[in-house]
Amino acid sequence: MIFAGIDIGSITAKAALIRDNKLVGTCVIPTGYNPVTAGQKVFSALLAQTQIRREDITAIVATGYGRNSVDFADKAMTEIICHGVGAHFLNPKIRGIIDVGGQDSKAIALDANGQVENFAMNDKCAAGTGRFLEVMAKALDVELDDLGTISLSSSAPSKISSICTVFAESEVISMIAGQQKREDIIAGIHESAAARVGGLATKIKLKGPVIMTGGVAKNRGMVKALENRLGITILVGDLPQENGAIGAAVLASRMTL
Amino acid sequence: MQEITPFHTAINDLAGLAAGIHKNSGKIIGYMCSYAPEELIYAAGFHPMRLFSSKSDISLAENHLQAYCCSLVRGVLEDSLAGRLGYLNGMVFPHTCDSIQRLSDIWRLNTNHGFFADVIMPAKLNTPSARAYMKDVLKKFQTDLETAIGHSIAPEDLKASICLFNRIRKHLARIYELKSKFPSIIREKDLFAIVKGAMVMDRKELADRLENIVQRLEQKDPSPSSAKRIILSGSICDMPDIYSLIEAAGGMVVADDLCTGNRWFEGQMDEGIDPLEALTARYADRAICPAKHSGNTLRGENLVRLAKDHKADGVIFAFLKFCDPHAFDFPYMKDFLDKAAIKSLHLELDDQQQGQGQLSTRLETFIHMI
Repeated sequence: MIFAGIDIGSITAKAALIRDNKLVGTCVIPTGYNPVTAGQKVFSALLAQTQIRREDITAIVATGYGRNSVDFADKAMTEIICHGVGAHFLNPKIRGIIDVGGQDSKAIALDANGQVENFAMNDKCAAGTGRFLEVMAKALDVELDDLGTISLSSSAPSKISSICTVFAESEVISMIAGQQKREDIIAGIHESAAARVGGLATKIKLKGPVIMTGGVAKNRGMVKALENRLGITILVGDLPQENGAIGAAVLASRMTL
Repeated sequence: MQEITPFHTAINDLAGLAAGIHKNSGKIIGYMCSYAPEELIYAAGFHPMRLFSSKSDISLAENHLQAYCCSLVRGVLEDSLAGRLGYLNGMVFPHTCDSIQRLSDIWRLNTNHGFFADVIMPAKLNTPSARAYMKDVLKKFQTDLETAIGHSIAPEDLKASICLFNRIRKHLARIYELKSKFPSIIREKDLFAIVKGAMVMDRKELADRLENIVQRLEQKDPSPSSAKRIILSGSICDMPDIYSLIEAAGGMVVADDLCTGNRWFEGQMDEGIDPLEALTARYADRAICPAKHSGNTLRGENLVRLAKDHKADGVIFAFLKFCDPHAFDFPYMKDFLDKAAIKSLHLELDDQQQGQGQLSTRLETFIHMI
């Protein structure tokens, strides 16, 4: 039997399919303005990609901030629960997750069964999230995907003191005008974001092994900044961005219809 | 339940409610904190009305109260400065949190709502001298009210007021008791309307309406509920959305430790003793808020007992953002729950909060988790 998970995030929509407890395929597209269409689109794209027919899907679970917009899903679960299930599915040893997406960042503690034991989540403010990094990449005239690599060559990260994204951006612009090295500014941005996100992990006393999920996990510089901040090793799987959708598909497979 | 409709009507149109009270020659005294001695206000012939922010955008209040003050004090000041509280004939400020104390000064200097009084209650309540002081403070407030009305409050009027508020509190406590026993007996949004309505409606009418509700509820044969049992803890909770979101996420509020809830109505006053003594005992012995002190462990023990008595699956701390007394007490309160293995969720909310996405994600996950 085949099961689907659909994760509508603030920036990207993700879909995953599992068959016989194995991952069959995943797909990521930009969410755009309409979360309803994004859900339909990402699902159709994944079906086309894997050449699986709609009628062969037994159950669908939707997650992410747009979970209730996926009207063809059988159930909606929060992304915190789905990230827990997804991480446990891919690596049952995981006990802690740091998930940083487009507008949310979360620290999630898991028990041995992949159930959420405790969690902390950012509050309204998007400082330290993917959107924060997007704004900074734009100010620095750098591709978002290159932030991580560039920052790794920094030996003296700049100090960003503002927490607010808007204030931090003007601080970065002053640094550019002051001709500080780009890699140092970016490394400073990662440290600033890591301070915000790291605070969530500290709040719930996150235990290892810890994995990072969400789109921002693809940024190696951000992972390193978090590792330094928390003094721990952080694992990153092959599909960090798709982890929530995978968890949703696993939950779909557990549904008794 | 049609008996609850008047409560929804009242809280959805506070200005209309106030106009009705004025039409019957009533005069309204506002308050913002459950330490306001409503019994004295009522005995002096005024209508006590708890104020909530109308949740409008803050602009005028910005000149007096900075962003680090909670949205309740900023919101109520905004309403006054913007002319939305024209129905007030006075205001009373009990001495509790710093922000309300500062609002009192700002209010006195910048608004014009007639009667004004500070009730400088003791912060430490568990000493004999505090009790004597509390009685003096209540006596002083009585004198302030008497000066305003031009005659003294008859002892029988104060006694009658105490009896009326006892009746109201008894019925509210009974509704809560039934809600805890049969969580599905009343919808979350209806419970919210009853409690909020009870702080603003005509008290005689209220006592009768509450009695009717209790009678109706006692006749009901509620279906068993598998919802998770939640206790709310915090200051004011003027967010009907929270109740609805908890319900939608599969939870039900079975008890609370709120200023707009149990802390405000629990306990009965002794009707057989000197009324001022009865009032003193009430305000000295009631469940305290974090701006008061009555021993190092009382609040934590009280919350754990509440959770155990009501077989709670979890506690949700719903604080107003920038409410420092609650924020200071939070680590200690959470510690008490952790030691008793009771799961909790900490929310900081703005009265003017819009957008429920992150809030519902948290509530759904928490209720799923416990």
